[in-house]
Amino acid sequence: MLATGHSKQNHYLNMKYHLITLGCQMNLSDSERVSSVLESMGYMHTEHEEEANLLGMLACSVRQKPIDKVYNKIAQWNRWKNNRNLVTFVSGCILPADKEKFLKSFDLIFQMSELAQLPEMIREYGVVTPAGLKTPQPVMPKNEHISEMWHIKPKYQSTYEAFVPIQNGCDKFCTFCAVPYTRGREVSRPSGEIVEEVRQLVCQGYKSITLLGQNVNSYGLDKNGREINFTELLRQIGEYGKISGEEFWVYFTSPHPQDMNREVIEVIAAYDCLARQIHLPMQSGDEHVLIKMNRRHSMDKYRRIVADIRELIPQATLFTDIIVGFSGEGEAEFQNTLAAMNEFRFNMAYIAMYSPRPGAASFRWENEVAPDDKKDRLHRSSEVLKIHSREYNETLVGKTMRVLINGTDRKTGFSSGLTEGKLIVRLDRRDDSLMGKIVDVKITSAADFSLSGKEAPLNLQASSPTLLHRRREQGNEDSEHFILNRILHVKK
Amino acid sequence: MQSKIDVAMMSLIKHEIKIDESFYKVEEIRQLTRETFSLILPKARFAFKAGQHISLGIYGDYQSREYSIYSGIKDDHLEVLVKEVNNGYFTPKLRKLKVGDLVEIHGPFGNFGMEPKATETGKFVFIASGTGIAPFRSIARTYPEIDYALIHGVRYTTEAYDRNEYPGDRYILCSSRDTKGTYHGRLTGYLKNCTFAAETQFYLCGNSDMIFDALEILKEMGFERDQIHCEVYF
Repeated sequence: MLATGHSKQNHYLNMKYHLITLGCQMNLSDSERVSSVLESMGYMHTEHEEEANLLGMLACSVRQKPIDKVYNKIAQWNRWKNNRNLVTFVSGCILPADKEKFLKSFDLIFQMSELAQLPEMIREYGVVTPAGLKTPQPVMPKNEHISEMWHIKPKYQSTYEAFVPIQNGCDKFCTFCAVPYTRGREVSRPSGEIVEEVRQLVCQGYKSITLLGQNVNSYGLDKNGREINFTELLRQIGEYGKISGEEFWVYFTSPHPQDMNREVIEVIAAYDCLARQIHLPMQSGDEHVLIKMNRRHSMDKYRRIVADIRELIPQATLFTDIIVGFSGEGEAEFQNTLAAMNEFRFNMAYIAMYSPRPGAASFRWENEVAPDDKKDRLHRSSEVLKIHSREYNETLVGKTMRVLINGTDRKTGFSSGLTEGKLIVRLDRRDDSLMGKIVDVKITSAADFSLSGKEAPLNLQASSPTLLHRRREQGNEDSEHFILNRILHVKK
Repeated sequence: MQSKIDVAMMSLIKHEIKIDESFYKVEEIRQLTRETFSLILPKARFAFKAGQHISLGIYGDYQSREYSIYSGIKDDHLEVLVKEVNNGYFTPKLRKLKVGDLVEIHGPFGNFGMEPKATETGKFVFIASGTGIAPFRSIARTYPEIDYALIHGVRYTTEAYDRNEYPGDRYILCSSRDTKGTYHGRLTGYLKNCTFAAETQFYLCGNSDMIFDALEILKEMGFERDQIHCEVYF
């Protein structure tokens, strides 16, 4: 991993930056690299925008609301400029039309592929960036230099959970989404860099690592045979996990059903460090709505993937994304989505009411679904989800789960964490010493979307490959069996 | 230290070099009907598969649209088929383009189409409405030996774009508003009375209503969903 190559300079002493990140995990991951660049210049992070000299935003164009937030925020920041010296910048997912407007409001605007040049831009602030100078703006962002951004070592926001970008951009053109116009074409990061970043994170003790991309399972396809594919990337990470002897969980998001295949699931099943949690966006359970969404996969294909998951990784949890109220979705089509939810019994579904997104193809269509109908469908689908989630959670009561402690519960103040399947678990006490550790938790009760439990009698740090392997075989065995088997292994 | 202007100019020059990669000059405009025309551009600077689409933008405009490639992979130019939409935003602007104007092309995108090997032995039925014929012309020009039938639904037979390029026994024209086609009526009406070999692969391209109807007809005939490939035009 390369450092940013910018040494601290006195000029920037006592300079503070504040960064607002809107939108998805991809932006969150990008923001870690932006922070790294700024701090390599000597800027210090502040949570308080009022005391910052450098104010930045990573914008999101998925919906109008976050774009409105950018406009509101820059108006406020520009008012502050009357009384103090400030430099403002914006990057992230920005549609070409918004970029033109932002040029008038922000001091700097750049694409993520230009991040390595940010220090120079800041030094020369007042001079617009190459992206800003090019008139007219390109319809799609140029992505060919994105690898320069990936060479920047990020400033991870956690000491046990990390995001690792593996690709940028999207070629899918779903009609509800503008990402191809904000992030450009799919570009895959070199696999060697990805595996190395994962290795370094594991060596530093990270327990949860998420591979990020708009369509992770089309990883490598843009390189026309000059790069390994997603299955092979997972296999290489899995092999590293095997020899490392460490316990950690590698996730990925988001895959597209179009490019998902049985080989990916076989690889997950074969390696302990590849987490048994799969996020497979369905969006709709209706064939016609999927066609209007330009999803390019059928329900049959989705069904086959889920069948493969259930067959090869029966203990895997299944998450999805669903949009209700999309153009063309009547009650009959919505019923198909409910039927699909009943068929696949998701552990979690991120259900959103459709809202037209500027820049997306469907933005130009009339959306005939009334807001009240969307709300009603959101409610009904959430109720179905709740039933399946709770039923699954109840099967876990009495079992011992490995849980990564990652926070405290807002209500009780007690420690909380996530299982390997990303189910929320609340402990019966607070123990800050457990933060960032994977511990055994005996599940004592289940709620709709969470579990409660107490730390198991023996806090087993499953650090040997033998134990890890056994853990996979046992799945959700209860703690007594777990302990007994451990003792047997030790005796052997 | 360089002045701000110098830095800016250097950046500008650097980026002007890149513009050449995605900008194409319009070489010719072929008027096919009063509303429909094709844009003929220089040979693609990227490798593509017949059936894929591109993103087409106009130099100086923020918006772009996706268009299936209308030319074959060996053709010495890149071509797209455009039908002007009344009161639309984009197609009236495309209509105003002149020879020598610049358009911005990104791509190729998509997986619509078949692997070259499959074209040697497979049986294919292409079902298109209107300008949805575009990917099938690309396929037919790329694989002249392919075993296919092309069912093309239009309102008037004048919309049978470049029909002379297809062998007469492979091209079925369904026209709903005149009687000069192979079949008078909607293509779905024609489709209902067809019989196809069990191993046929179907490719559907056009507006969503046609695709929904054709999809259901084919499923009722007993074809598996995996045999039916869809590309929707919006």
